[in-house]
Amino acid sequence: MKDQLSALIDGELDIESSEHLIISAKSGGELKNTWATYHLIGDAMRGEAPLRQDFTSRVMLALEAEPIVLAPKATLSIESDIGNITSITINKSSHRTSGFWSIAASVAAVMFVGVMVLQQQVNYSPEQVIMVKTEKVAPTEALAPIEIAQSIPTEYLQAHQAAAPTGAAYYIQDASFVGSNK
Amino acid sequence: MHKFFSALLLSVISLATIAADDPWFLLEKTAYAARELNYQGIFVYQNGKETHSVQITHMNQAGREMTRNVVLDNRPQPGQAREVYRHGENIVILRPHNQTMVIEKRRGQNLFPAMIPTNIQAIKASYVAELAGMDTIAGREAQIINLTPNDSYRYSYKIWADTQYGLLLKMALLDNKKQALEHIAFNEINTMDTQDINWFQPKIDVTKQYVTKSYDMKDTSNHHQVHSNWFVSELPIGYVKVDHRALVVPGKTTTVDQMIFSDGIGSVSVFIEPLTKGMRPKMGHMQMGSTNMCANVIDGHQVNVVGEVPETTCRQIAKAVSLNKQTALNK
Repeated sequence: MKDQLSALIDGELDIESSEHLIISAKSGGELKNTWATYHLIGDAMRGEAPLRQDFTSRVMLALEAEPIVLAPKATLSIESDIGNITSITINKSSHRTSGFWSIAASVAAVMFVGVMVLQQQVNYSPEQVIMVKTEKVAPTEALAPIEIAQSIPTEYLQAHQAAAPTGAAYYIQDASFVGSNK
Repeated sequence: MHKFFSALLLSVISLATIAADDPWFLLEKTAYAARELNYQGIFVYQNGKETHSVQITHMNQAGREMTRNVVLDNRPQPGQAREVYRHGENIVILRPHNQTMVIEKRRGQNLFPAMIPTNIQAIKASYVAELAGMDTIAGREAQIINLTPNDSYRYSYKIWADTQYGLLLKMALLDNKKQALEHIAFNEINTMDTQDINWFQPKIDVTKQYVTKSYDMKDTSNHHQVHSNWFVSELPIGYVKVDHRALVVPGKTTTVDQMIFSDGIGSVSVFIEPLTKGMRPKMGHMQMGSTNMCANVIDGHQVNVVGEVPETTCRQIAKAVSLNKQTALNK
């Protein structure tokens, strides 16, 4: 089933024949996690930037600004607001059932993946250290006494390994990389 | 693979007389073999006290490299392996971290066995290459090639190249006393004769949360920002700047300047950040396997130099970091 899910995400599987997959993925459990994880890895592989920290607030703002067209009530408000669009909306109503469901399904899918990613972003935040406001030292101000470097700062070691044109050292687990003083 | 190999074979035959005793030609063949061939094996990486076994699967699909590396030891729990996937220029690392799996994205790098640059001219000026006998690695016949530097600013490399395919079978990094600092060698290696890419898919542990992490780096190489006023006044000969970025480090209020220098094989990063209140300025030198780190304080800034280069190179760069104040003031 996971192989099928992977194929569906890669666009190799027909959406119409994959209803059972989407239903099981939506119902939660193992397949739901796999679905979200495949998307996350896929995004990373394609080089798409991970979500910014203020993603939730930006989405909420965008949602507030967006006119809601899925519910019948919202359609009414559009009718009264913009008269020209009314006829188009009514004319399209014959196709509405199928159109509505496909939109709803895609919205559900987007929300589903979005929520999964959001949860993961939120869960991840404790690992990211909150910035501490510090003042820049004026050139005239005396600096703290100079210390002897005791260890290779992990963040710099990682940044070097990540950016070096040739690398083998990434097999090393970060925490164990403590040097010896000379 | 066959296509490439026959092309390679033709060039080998036509240049047979040169090839047989030209170590540079063999090194170039080694560089291409690692990128063009389809192979699967297990290699052991040793740096200082660290030793790791890594399973590698490599395939070249219509010019795009696909690699999967799985670290076989040091798993916190069964099934939690560090995995590295490469597709073209994109590298994704999946690693266990406490109860989560971290998905880390990196940009393209030359990973083992693609340690020799395909542009062999880039290293010809700094090293001397010599044939140094035959050996057997992972059951395969290997030609040993010594790559010795012209000066003390880089390590020596001992390279074992497969006599049939040219693939890099083993590589040792030696200091100027010819002591090995780092080893990386195949224990097992086989060529693959398949187009099946089912292996290029991570095993998802459904009990784990997957989280993303990326090095938030702004490329400043094309911008005239204050950052670019930092330079290294006396760069050891043969090293060129390959990148200059503004690094965002959690917990720091300003970005950190990162400059990366390379001589074609070895590389070193310079990190520069303003000293802020409460920060303790550091100086000194440390070594861990082939990695050297030098700290220095210049113009109210903390300078850290980190790289797989000798102490001499590390110290010289840490001393020579300079701020072009004239340009900085004019901006």
